[in-house]
Amino acid sequence: MELFTLWLWPFLALLLLPGILVYFGLHVVERGIIFVDLALAQVAALGICVAIFLGAHPGHDVLPYALSLVFTLLGAALFALTRFRHSRVPQEAFIGIIYVVAAAAATLVLSHSAEGDEEIKNLLVGNILLVNRAEVLRAFSLFAAVGILHYFLRARFLGITFRDRKVPGLGIPLRLWDFLFYGTFGVVVTSFVQIAGVYLVFSYLIVPAVCGALLCETIRGRLLVGWSVAFVAGLAGLTTSVKAETLDLPTGPTIVCFFGLLLLICGAISAVRGRGRAEA
Amino acid sequence: MTLRRLSWISIAASSLAVSGAHAALRVVATTPEYAAVASAVGGDKVSVTFLAKPTEDPHFVDAKPSHLVALNRADVLVEGGADLEVGWLPPLVQESRNPRIASGGSGRVAASEGIQLLDVPAQLDRSKGDLHAAGNPHFMMDPENAGIVAHHLADVFCRLDPGSCTAYQANRERFEKTLDERMRSWAAKLAPFKGTPIVTYHSTWRYFAARFGLVSDTFLEPKPGIPPSPPHLAEVIAKMNDQKIRVILVEPYQNRKQAEVVAEHTGGTVVNVCQFPGGLPGTDGDYFALMDADVSAVASALAPRSAS
Repeated sequence: MELFTLWLWPFLALLLLPGILVYFGLHVVERGIIFVDLALAQVAALGICVAIFLGAHPGHDVLPYALSLVFTLLGAALFALTRFRHSRVPQEAFIGIIYVVAAAAATLVLSHSAEGDEEIKNLLVGNILLVNRAEVLRAFSLFAAVGILHYFLRARFLGITFRDRKVPGLGIPLRLWDFLFYGTFGVVVTSFVQIAGVYLVFSYLIVPAVCGALLCETIRGRLLVGWSVAFVAGLAGLTTSVKAETLDLPTGPTIVCFFGLLLLICGAISAVRGRGRAEA
Repeated sequence: MTLRRLSWISIAASSLAVSGAHAALRVVATTPEYAAVASAVGGDKVSVTFLAKPTEDPHFVDAKPSHLVALNRADVLVEGGADLEVGWLPPLVQESRNPRIASGGSGRVAASEGIQLLDVPAQLDRSKGDLHAAGNPHFMMDPENAGIVAHHLADVFCRLDPGSCTAYQANRERFEKTLDERMRSWAAKLAPFKGTPIVTYHSTWRYFAARFGLVSDTFLEPKPGIPPSPPHLAEVIAKMNDQKIRVILVEPYQNRKQAEVVAEHTGGTVVNVCQFPGGLPGTDGDYFALMDADVSAVASALAPRSAS
C-alpha cells in the first residue's frame, strides 16, 4: 500500500522517464562517447551555479533553469564542433576536458556561497525518492516531445550514429544534425539529472545499451532488451531500498548496483550463446 | 567507522521496530539531541527516532527511505528551526504526506521557538553566503536552552496526549533537576578559563561559550557554511599567535585536516567535540553524557600543559 502513497512518484518516475535515456544510450555507446552525459550535466550545472551567483534560487526562479538550458546548448555546440576536428585527438579527450573545466569553473563560481557545495552535489547526486508529481509530469512531457522529434527524424539520427552511407537529408550539414542530437540529448540529460542524479543517468544510458548490444543485433531488439533491463533494475532497486528497512539503503546507488548485476547476467547469457554458436 | 555506522543503523532500526507497539506518541526528531530530550520527557509513553546521524552535518542531510517512512507515521516532528534544516527537511515532509507534521500541523514543533537566538543578522543576505540567515541555530549547546526545549516538548506531548500529562511533567521535572545538578559541575569545570578565547570550525559553540564564559568569535569558516579559504586561515593563524589561542574545536563531519594545518602553525590543539549525542564515544542517546564529554574535552584542552 505504501507503494501507492509514499513511493508512487518515484515509482512512476522510474517507469516513465528512462525510456528515452535507453534510446539515447544506443547512440552514445555506438558513437563511443560514453562520458558525454557527465560532461553535459556538468556544463548544465555550471549554468545553474552562475544563476545562483547572480542571486537566483534554484527551484523558485526561472533564471537557473534558463541558464542551465543555455549552457547545455553551448555545450552541445562545442561537442558538435569537436567532432572530426582533428584526426589525432579523439573526441573523448575533448569531452573529458569540457567536463573538468566545467566542474572546476562551477566550484570557482560558488566558492563564496554557503549553499554552493550542496547545490553542486544535489545536481550531481539528485534524489529520486523525493521526486514530486510536478517534476515527473514536466520531465515526461519534455521527454515525450523529444521522443516524437527523434521518432520522425529517426532515419537521419540513427543513420549518422550507425554510419549508414545512405543517410538522407544531407542537404543540411552534418554538424547541424549533430548539434540537434546533442541539444536534445543535453535537455533530456539535464532534466533527468536534476531528478535522479548523475550515477543513475549514467547507468540508465549505458548499461541497458550495452546489454542490448550483447544480446541483439537489430536496433529494435537492443531497444527492447534495454527497456526491460532498465525497468527491472529500477523496480528491483526501489523495492529493495524501500523494503529492506534494517539496511536503509539509499535508492539511487541500490538501482545502480542492480544494473551491475543485470549486466553480469546479460554477459553470461551472451558468453554461453557465443560458445553454443562456436560449437554448432 | 564502519562499525560505528553499523551500530547506529541497528539502533535506528530497532527504535523503528519498537515504534507503534505500545507508545502513544510517535516522535521524530531531526537531530539526535532533540531525540534525547524527547525521550527523557516522553519516557515510555513515546517512541522516538531521529533523522540525521550524529556524525552528519545537520545543515545537509541525505534523504533515505526510512526517513519518509518514519515521517509518514509520526505524530510529532521536532526540528531545531531557525533555518537549520531548511536545506533538506521541507521536501521530506512534503513527500511524507502526513498532515500532522506539515508546517502548521498539530505535531510540528520548532525547538527554536521561545529561545533567545544569537547572531540574528540585521539584514538578510543569503546570496553573500551565510547559512544562519535566521540567527545561530546551535542553541542546544547551552544547557539552559535544553531545559526550555524540555518544557516546550512536555507542553506539546500534554496537548496531544492529555492522558499521560502527569507523567510527561514529572519526567520534565526530573530532567530539569538533573540538568541543574550537572550545570553546576560543568560550570565549575570551566570556571578557571573565564574569558579564554577558543577557535572553532563552524559557529556551533557560540551558545556554549556564552554560557560558560569562554570567548568564541574566531572561526575557520570565513562565514557560516563557507569553506575555509587560504587567506582567511592565514588571518586565523595570525590571530591565534597574537592572542595565544591554543584550542581549535572540530566536529566529526568537519574538515579536520584544515584544523590540523592551523594547529601546526600555532602550536594549538585540535579537540574533537560534537553537538549530538552519539557523535562522541559513550554518548549515545544521552544529552547529559554528551555535555559531560564536551565540557571535559574543552576543559582538559584549555588546562595548562604540565610539561611546559
